[in-house]
Amino acid sequence: MKVDVESLIENYFEGVSYDEMFQDNRGVKDTWKNLYETLKSLGTEELISRQKEIDWNLAENGITYNVYNDPNGLNRPWSLNLVPFIMHKNEWNKVEKGLQQRATLLDLVVKDIYGDRQLLKKGIIPHEVVFGHRGFLRQCDGIEINTHKYLSVYAADLSRGPDGRMWVVNDRAQAPSGMGYSLENRTIAGRVLPNIYRNIHVNGQDQFFNDFNKLLVNAAPANKTNPTVVVLTPGPHNETYFEHAYLASYYGFPLVRGSDLVVRDGKLWMKSLKALKQVDVVYRRVDDVFVDPLELREDSYLGVAGLLDVVRRKNVSILNPIGVGIIENSGLIPFMPAIAKYFLGEKLILPQIATWWCGQKKELDHVLSDISKLVIKRIDKSNRESIVFTEFLNEKELEALKDKIKSRPHLYVAQEKIKFSTVPNLVKGKLEPRNMVCRAFTIAKDKGYTVMSGGLVRVSSTKENVRVSNQRGGTSKDFCIIDESSIKGKVPRVGNTNTTVVAAGLNDLPSLTAENLYWAGRYIGRALVTSRHLRMVLNQMVNNEEVINLDQNTKLSILLRSVTQLTNTYPGFVGDEKEPAVSNLKDELISVIVDQDKVGSLAHTLSMFSNSYYSIRNLWSTDMWRVFDSIHQIWDPIINEDIKLLSYKKLIKVLDKLITRLIAFMGLIEESILVDQGLLLYFIGLNLERVILNVSNFQSMLTVVTEDYIEYEILEAMLHSHESLNIYRYSYRSYININSVISLILLDTKYARSLTYLVRRLKKDIAHLPHSKVKGALQDYEKPIFEAFSKLRLASVTDLVDVSEENRYLRYKLNKLLTELNVLLYATSKAISDTYFNHVDDQSQLSRQKFS
Amino acid sequence: MDFLITHITEYSYSEEVVFCHNIATIKPRQSPGQELLEYHVEIDPTPTEFSERKDFFGNNLTRFSIQKAHKKLAVTSTCKISRDYTAIKNSFNSEKCTKVTLVSALDSLNGNTKDNFEPKQFILDSILIKNNKANIKEYALESFKPNRSVFEATKELMQRIFIDFNFVSGFTNVSTPLDVVMEEKKGVCQDFAQIGIACLRSVGLPARYISGYIETLPPPGKPKLIGADASHAWFAVYIPGFGWVDFDPTNNKIPENQHIVVGWGRDYYDVPPLKGVVYSSGSSKLSVSVDIKSLNTTTNQVQSQSQ
Repeated sequence: MKVDVESLIENYFEGVSYDEMFQDNRGVKDTWKNLYETLKSLGTEELISRQKEIDWNLAENGITYNVYNDPNGLNRPWSLNLVPFIMHKNEWNKVEKGLQQRATLLDLVVKDIYGDRQLLKKGIIPHEVVFGHRGFLRQCDGIEINTHKYLSVYAADLSRGPDGRMWVVNDRAQAPSGMGYSLENRTIAGRVLPNIYRNIHVNGQDQFFNDFNKLLVNAAPANKTNPTVVVLTPGPHNETYFEHAYLASYYGFPLVRGSDLVVRDGKLWMKSLKALKQVDVVYRRVDDVFVDPLELREDSYLGVAGLLDVVRRKNVSILNPIGVGIIENSGLIPFMPAIAKYFLGEKLILPQIATWWCGQKKELDHVLSDISKLVIKRIDKSNRESIVFTEFLNEKELEALKDKIKSRPHLYVAQEKIKFSTVPNLVKGKLEPRNMVCRAFTIAKDKGYTVMSGGLVRVSSTKENVRVSNQRGGTSKDFCIIDESSIKGKVPRVGNTNTTVVAAGLNDLPSLTAENLYWAGRYIGRALVTSRHLRMVLNQMVNNEEVINLDQNTKLSILLRSVTQLTNTYPGFVGDEKEPAVSNLKDELISVIVDQDKVGSLAHTLSMFSNSYYSIRNLWSTDMWRVFDSIHQIWDPIINEDIKLLSYKKLIKVLDKLITRLIAFMGLIEESILVDQGLLLYFIGLNLERVILNVSNFQSMLTVVTEDYIEYEILEAMLHSHESLNIYRYSYRSYININSVISLILLDTKYARSLTYLVRRLKKDIAHLPHSKVKGALQDYEKPIFEAFSKLRLASVTDLVDVSEENRYLRYKLNKLLTELNVLLYATSKAISDTYFNHVDDQSQLSRQKFS
Repeated sequence: MDFLITHITEYSYSEEVVFCHNIATIKPRQSPGQELLEYHVEIDPTPTEFSERKDFFGNNLTRFSIQKAHKKLAVTSTCKISRDYTAIKNSFNSEKCTKVTLVSALDSLNGNTKDNFEPKQFILDSILIKNNKANIKEYALESFKPNRSVFEATKELMQRIFIDFNFVSGFTNVSTPLDVVMEEKKGVCQDFAQIGIACLRSVGLPARYISGYIETLPPPGKPKLIGADASHAWFAVYIPGFGWVDFDPTNNKIPENQHIVVGWGRDYYDVPPLKGVVYSSGSSKLSVSVDIKSLNTTTNQVQSQSQ
């Protein structure tokens, strides 16, 4: 189907001055012709469906971008528009040279600033531009680093200026983001739009990502051959956490947080499951001032105390080195031509946005008199929030801004207001123009720099919006370089060709990852056992939505009490010292399921489960994302629904679906994560939780002696909750009785759900932990589980069903056994935490100083 | 004059500290009119790592870490200092120093000269002295007039801080904002030093923070108590063409031999005597004692300390 050209670009030209695809006469530029023709030939419907496919792929792969201060912002899907931004190789070659030149210059600038400061002494840069900038870290003065270059990774934001050339808008060096997103964009766009990419000869990015791997590995001190490289992330709440996890798993480097690392003996170590492992290279995504709470920001929990000293001793390489934030400095822009002349005797290849530094009298006067035509920035803050577009200010605000500038003129620059070029964006089947910013990535290679082919393009969220930022809800584009000489028909492919063997075993597993896996196991175990039990209770309650008198209904009384005992949501149906049991049964039962704020509720457990999974997302497979997403799709609407509208029937349906997906998810975990990657910890967590909860249920439901017909119903309910009714019927083919139930679900050694079986499995798994390998002796954390196993093996059914003389309603031996098991299981849990996870002690300052 | 100084810093912890990283600025730096004859530091428990280096400002930093569990940390430094500042103090009376007016000072700071380059960074905001309210500048302007000598004006500023501000220990701590000190007009030596610095910077002059010790003399006829001396702080102004001149607003005195310099920076943040990161779940208690013993037999020095 051919698309009506008029409708594809209807209203496109309104208010557009310089467009990337269209010429002033509305003809399509040569470079874009192929793309435009391809888009047209696909047709509106197909375009919409391809865009949907992209969106789906992004969601399926869990590609997210967190937005701060937005309650719904965490893990928001990344947005990629179908229409790429393309540039011809002839133009790109010049940009590339310009970026290489700029990276070379900025590298020399950083070296000089932390070296002899000739640029300041010779007056090439005014001293305030450096000494007055927050990014100038005196602590880094004179530090020598292991790598030849100070600036290993450099990103520039580029926009097309009114003269039709690409201009530099921002320099990024501390922890530039976007490389991982570019890679994902290209991978997904290439998959969804193979025909488009085939028609336009896009250059690949493989070489760049291989170079980046080499850069990190070769940065190791003393040219160590098989160095340990880690990716340092601020954590799952960071806006680009997805990318940190993505790059870590792409290269097979451990993803760590500050608390995973420690400085001892002048070296940097990673806390791993077995012991401390020396770290040689840190690819950091934490900003300069947060990396060392000893020498830099005292209140930072994102870094490692003493790190700067390890750098000073040259025992670790940090990429980029700490202190490079000084070049994220709009105060440098006016002096860049002089710097280029001084260092290289060259002119700047890439033009920059016209900038006036207010620290000079003439410039200040110009800025103050023309302020309404300018954009005002602080030299050391480049985030969108600190950029002032004066056109939005009233008279009073303008005066206040002027006063601010006058009191500290050296902290401000003013920039020309520019209308940047627009690119076509596919919106609801039509092309609409959007302002764009490109981010290009440059990394050190050999004696010079190499540039990623293309990069990342971000466009504004609406036609009117001049600010382009993902933080403000913009969207992204693939940025492709067109090269007719590249092999025709080759679909761009990016794959990890990293051949370095990554020596990752269980011993080297970062202890935080191990802990997260352990808790992931515990929460999914809790979610599963709790949902099954709640489903059983709901099924028993479904015919009793009206008021029930629990005093007259022993069965429901026992079942409801077991819910409170299982979920630890006292007073609940049991009551405690302070409060009696609740009277509104339905409200309580529903809140135990859907109230996220109630600790222990199913909703609470599921949210803890989600959190623990996000923190280990680098280990996930795509299928896991899909299932995880479907869990949220069925669960999220329920917790947001009005409690009054929820019926038992509706909740049963939801629990049915939830249970199926949880089981699917568990199956995927088992086949997607290697034992060496920490699956063992997951299993220990999972089975420990199942065992603990089973013991609770057994104690609630099996230790009480009731009339025969009630006991029958309770036992049947127990088997339902335990998902063992079919097995029971198959094994015993008899009327359900307590002896057989205990035999099957407590003592059977072959049945995979029985307590004895699970405890033996736990004992075996725990014996595989790194510290367990001492011959001839059990470790402290192995002892309680060993004792639990022995107690179960020594127990006999005839003993356990015994009723004492004093209390004919209690199976006291069973009760005693279960109580003892409970103690031993908690001891196991505590001993494992103490041995493997708790070497993370609280970090605090000697004298609590607060500086900002 | 020669002094023997013993400076003890002790931290007691309520819970065991598993390990810690620390940085101390306690070894007296090279400074005009002062010579470090002997220096010794003892750290208990014995640190696993220990190193010394010079920081950006030329101060001596001592870095150490203790990797075994401990409930008490004691850092004891002893140093023998020879101080002869009289000639330098006398040079403040020279015309080269006293004749420089505010206008001419600002004028020469405006240009870029070899001598200006380092001092000029001390005009800029620093971590603890920044974004000050207008009342700081108003306060400064009472003393600083365009054609008045910078030296005279600074001396008057010192005097005014001494009169207007009350020495009250315990009212402020290292994190008390300068605005509160200015508002309440009370604090301790480091607050007064920082007020002086803020005032000088507000009129465009370079000013730095000096951390050190001061010898206190007992009331006539009473024996001197060990540990009664104190860590001290004051400020210095940069007079273009002459150099740095120290002022002690706590004692309304231009330092001479009783002031011993340990280090300097933009404000307290650059030269804390001891800082560190500890790994522990408990709280800590600090005690500091400084003892300065004059090694000269002729100790009949005039000491006009009024506090």
